[in-house]
Amino acid sequence: MAIQVELFLQTLIAGILLGGLYALIGIGMTLIMGVMKIINLAHGELMMVAMYIAYWLFTLLHLDPYLSLFVAMPALFFFGVALQKYLINPVLKVDSILPENQVILTVGIGMVLANLATIFFTSNYRSTPVDYATKAFYLTDFWKNAPIELSLSFSWSLSFLMAVIITIALWFFLTRTDTGKSIRATAQDLDAALLMGVNVGKIRVATFGIGCALVGAAGCLFLPIYYLFPSLGGQFTLIAFVITILGGLGSTVGAIIGGVILGIFESMTATYLGMGWAPVGRFLIFVAALVFLPGGVASLLRKKKFGK
Amino acid sequence: MKKIGIVAGLVFFVSLLTTPLPAQDVVRFSIPLPLTGSNAKFGEIEKNAYEIALEEINAKGGIKGKKVALEFEDSQGKPEVTRSIAEKLIDVKKQPVLFGEYSSSCSKALAALADERKTPYLVVTGATDDITQQNYKYIFRMNPSNAYYASGMMSFLKEVVKPTSIAILYESSDFGTSGAEDMVKQAEKFGIKVLVKEKYEKGAVDFKPILSKVKAAAPDVIYMVSYVMDASLLMKHIKELRIDSKLFAGGAAGFAIPEFVESAKDAAEYVVTATLWSPQVAYSGAKEFAEKYKKMYKDYPSYHGAEAYSALYVIKDALERAKSWTADDIRIAMEATNMMTAFGPIKFEDKEGYTNQNFMDTLVMQVIKANHETIWPQKYASAKYIYPIPRWRDRK
Repeated sequence: MAIQVELFLQTLIAGILLGGLYALIGIGMTLIMGVMKIINLAHGELMMVAMYIAYWLFTLLHLDPYLSLFVAMPALFFFGVALQKYLINPVLKVDSILPENQVILTVGIGMVLANLATIFFTSNYRSTPVDYATKAFYLTDFWKNAPIELSLSFSWSLSFLMAVIITIALWFFLTRTDTGKSIRATAQDLDAALLMGVNVGKIRVATFGIGCALVGAAGCLFLPIYYLFPSLGGQFTLIAFVITILGGLGSTVGAIIGGVILGIFESMTATYLGMGWAPVGRFLIFVAALVFLPGGVASLLRKKKFGK
Repeated sequence: MKKIGIVAGLVFFVSLLTTPLPAQDVVRFSIPLPLTGSNAKFGEIEKNAYEIALEEINAKGGIKGKKVALEFEDSQGKPEVTRSIAEKLIDVKKQPVLFGEYSSSCSKALAALADERKTPYLVVTGATDDITQQNYKYIFRMNPSNAYYASGMMSFLKEVVKPTSIAILYESSDFGTSGAEDMVKQAEKFGIKVLVKEKYEKGAVDFKPILSKVKAAAPDVIYMVSYVMDASLLMKHIKELRIDSKLFAGGAAGFAIPEFVESAKDAAEYVVTATLWSPQVAYSGAKEFAEKYKKMYKDYPSYHGAEAYSALYVIKDALERAKSWTADDIRIAMEATNMMTAFGPIKFEDKEGYTNQNFMDTLVMQVIKANHETIWPQKYASAKYIYPIPRWRDRK
């Protein structure tokens, strides 16, 4: 019995930690989705770019991956701004048969980034062997005679904590600052925002930058617990996409809840069904969300009247 | 005028491309290898090793007086790309014998094509059992099949660890699946209970849920078949969860290369792994090759390197004995191969359902003080094995 409880709790811990990180990836995509009404399919590749920045800072300058947040986030912000200004905005203005050819553009950007990374950095797997990689806290260290043993990885917890802090900072930014409010206004009703004097063009550029900075942060937080190779983007774009759908397109709170749900769901499937089932589970959630909850978690929140 | 200039330039350029180089005293081989993509690391090791062998062979006068030249074709680790490369080699370049490729799935695709086209193909590293179980006449394999990877490990388990239960985790690829299946068969044969047998998708982020399940089952041995980054994540997570099994064992591949220790650091200590070869093994030429490789590329080669290095010698040996350099004569010469290489003895045999398969002893290595040491069989050992291993909480 104790063993079963331990198994369940340990899985739950793993799921929540993973979910927190997933949420950070998802928020970036959802923010861009809300304002621009497009899915940014280069999301995972942007994360890969940030991870390479953190990796080289670690390898060449011995800068801790967590500290490289302060380099990678601004770098990705300006990179995103440039992408939006010089690549996506011009395409927005062009009339074409496809109504959303910016989405296709993001796919192209993603491919170019992945291939450039292969050319410059080779396709080798890389990791940052930090000293605290396998450090963990144990329940029995704090409570000698605990009937069960639980462990909490140091780097996973730190990554999770940073993700939470960044998310809270984002929430303050979106609710308390003028720029943040303008972003939300643009997401809710573009025409009304225009009429109220919001510079929608600028807001779009800023939002894309912020979305990129967020996924860049996620990259830095993933590096110490995972590893890095040029084609890693696709897998995380997919995760962000599932979270965005699950959370309700464009809803930040929805994305957080969606991310945590996905993290816990994946961990639970791994423990109780088998790890090979995790990708299947991910798509089951995706399809189920589309069929039974088209508005995502956000629509539930709206019904209960505590979301926006 | 300008147009004529362009045309003339083009004609000149094309003629440059098609002018036959003095080909009579050079024999050219193209080798498909994954030079990009997720298996690129192994492709690179093999490429380096082929080049060392090439240099040695050419320095000693080549094959039957002809200089050898090698070209490498990037298969990206994708079977369909491998297949199209092989088609080009057979149909366009008329290469009479094929060798190379890294992964099981690519080698399998290549083998099917080569046999259909009646062109001999020497499998160098692809380990999944069924490549040489299809009664192919033209396919030869110098590396032991997956089923035999574990034979050295099994004798170590039987004689030293004597486990009663085992948990098996494996990557959901050809290599992982067949490695796990074989371990299940071996375990059943020796009365070891398989408590958990779970596969995972390559690139998984978090192994803790599945490992918690393994911990709850408390097996004596955890056996894992993984490539390198998954291998180090698995060991890191095992350390985090403090799973105290009697032994952590890896089925070659990712566990057997230095990057595993670099990346998993102290979590890699005491892990044992099956391997086909190690730089300190007592085969003639093995040490020399390893030292030469280290001098040129700053690192010891993994067994993949030794396989590739020896493969070129196997081809050389067959070509020297072949009556003519046609596919069928080369096949007949290959069948009669019986030689010693840096990788070990090579002799193609038909037995136990295999055709043209090389059978040899496999080794066991253990990570001791952040180094891979050969510990089993004891006649080839470079260090005494450490068993029992300390519990996680007692390690510093």
